[in-house]
Amino acid sequence: MKVAAHPVAAEDLMALMDGELAAEEARVVSAHLQECAECALLMREFRGVSESLAGWTVEDAAPAMDEAVMAAGKAMPVQRAARSGGYVDLNFWKWNPWAIRSGAAVAVLLILLAVGLSIRSVSLSHQARMMTFFTAPEASPPPMPQLESRARKSEPVQADSLSAPSSTANSYDAPGGGQAADSISGKDVEEYKKLASSAVAAQPFSGVGQKADRFKGDIASLDANAAQGLPMIARTVSVTMVVKDVPEARAGLERVLAQYGGYAAQLTVNTPEGGARSFQASLRVPAPQLAAALAEVRGLGRVENESQAGEEVTQQHADLVARLQNSRETEQRLKDILAQRTGKIEDVLQVEEEIARVRGEIEGMEADQKTLEHRVDFASVDLQMSEVYREQLGTPSASVGTQVRNAFISGLRRAGAMMLGLVLFVEEAGPAVLIWVVILGAPGFVVWRRYRKIRAQI
Amino acid sequence: MLAYAGGDSAAFNALFVRYRQPVFGFFRRRVVDAGLAEELAQETFLAVVRAAKRYEAAALFRTWLYAIAFKILNAHRRKAAFRAAFLGAAKEGSEPAVPCSLEAEIVMRQAVGRLDAVDREVLLLREFEQLSYAEIAELLRVPVNTVRSRLFRARMALHTLLAGGLARGSGAKEGL
Repeated sequence: MKVAAHPVAAEDLMALMDGELAAEEARVVSAHLQECAECALLMREFRGVSESLAGWTVEDAAPAMDEAVMAAGKAMPVQRAARSGGYVDLNFWKWNPWAIRSGAAVAVLLILLAVGLSIRSVSLSHQARMMTFFTAPEASPPPMPQLESRARKSEPVQADSLSAPSSTANSYDAPGGGQAADSISGKDVEEYKKLASSAVAAQPFSGVGQKADRFKGDIASLDANAAQGLPMIARTVSVTMVVKDVPEARAGLERVLAQYGGYAAQLTVNTPEGGARSFQASLRVPAPQLAAALAEVRGLGRVENESQAGEEVTQQHADLVARLQNSRETEQRLKDILAQRTGKIEDVLQVEEEIARVRGEIEGMEADQKTLEHRVDFASVDLQMSEVYREQLGTPSASVGTQVRNAFISGLRRAGAMMLGLVLFVEEAGPAVLIWVVILGAPGFVVWRRYRKIRAQI
Repeated sequence: MLAYAGGDSAAFNALFVRYRQPVFGFFRRRVVDAGLAEELAQETFLAVVRAAKRYEAAALFRTWLYAIAFKILNAHRRKAAFRAAFLGAAKEGSEPAVPCSLEAEIVMRQAVGRLDAVDREVLLLREFEQLSYAEIAELLRVPVNTVRSRLFRARMALHTLLAGGLARGSGAKEGL
């Protein structure tokens, strides 16, 4: 059957036979059929194919299915009437497959986005932790400056701590071992106070530097208490307050700290727009002045919550002092052995190694002791102050243009973070996904081809 | 159908009697097993019963009925292909094994079986179900012009096969 170029398309002939042409088109095609023998032949061939197909008959359906279908047809109208009203019509047959595919694609995209953003947030938090880890030591005042400086300079340790008992202070490696423990301890206190005040000078406020000398005697009295076997108590206080005006309360707090020789170890001020201002501070106040300082702090506003706790560390301190003394004596004996006896070079090296080990233990214990004594000397006060919020008509608020601009920039940032998260996710999960695609892809492709082939045949 | 949707069960009986054999023939020309064809036809009428309330007279009932039958047929084909691909079940032929003594009819069915799957479906829907081009296009979710060109191609290919290629018996499918 050959189809030559004709004014009437061959498909139009077929459409004429199927009755699918409009009246005008049918008239034109019929007229052409009268004139063109080739098209008339083609038409006869189309009819021949249809006649051949008409010979394809099928047997009658078995009557077995009639009863089940008829019974269902009788029963269903009653069921529909019973459940009409609350019936949710889910027209499954009219569901557009593209809608389902689009929904699935969007779901997959959202999952990828969520995973990407979570990876991004984890990465950012990790970076934040690393930054905190590396910057935190710079922000905090050096707790034991003289010990560290001595250790760096390899100087012999003259006294062990701020509150070391005089009986043990001069028992170690001092060429002029008769130095008075009190005088050494006093110097250390002063040195420490000066260093501490200089270290926290960058803080928003601190009264340590000006009043350190004034409270040296108080702290020395605590040392004396420890030496006399009186209890050593590390005190912690937590106060939550409501104040009328945060800047005013903050200034008052500065005065209290300056008056009693305390300092702020940490301070956070929050001034949200359209909300109450607040600040949190972690204060260190000389323990003997704690009650008086707290009384003045309470006067800054209304106390909502206050809790105090005291941890007795006497036994812990005594144990630490005893262990320290034993280690020093051990170190002295080892030095005596090294100075008085002779032996092989291996033995000498072994003794020196032992001395180094004991020295390390001593220094660690000295650091612990100073930390413990600092906790006793300075009470820790966690203070939270918040302001009673008053809405003000004159409160300056951002203009509409500024808000639109801010929202736009915020949206851009979020979009950038989202894309970055997606890229990070692809970078992190991509190789693993690729491996799995390679592992599962080949057999999956074979099975898919087999399925498609069979599907086309059925 | 509207009467049945309104609760008249006698209307359904009339519909069933009228379309019972055409629907069975629809499946019988597309699956090998006559029992399976009956089962699919029964499933089609049960689907009609279930969907009667949602029926809208937007198209001919016949079109709607064959749309349901076609979906059921596709579902059956998917299941059969899945079973064959993953479980190694026996393949189902593309043409029914209707007992027939006429050689011409056997040759014709073999020729139909050799057509492209979509072309064959268009041809069968036109020739046996007597659906219009527009109805076929809606059923197969393709443009009307595609239906027209595919029908033309199927008829031309079938004519060629019947005219000589298949008569020589080269590569004729066995068991059909």
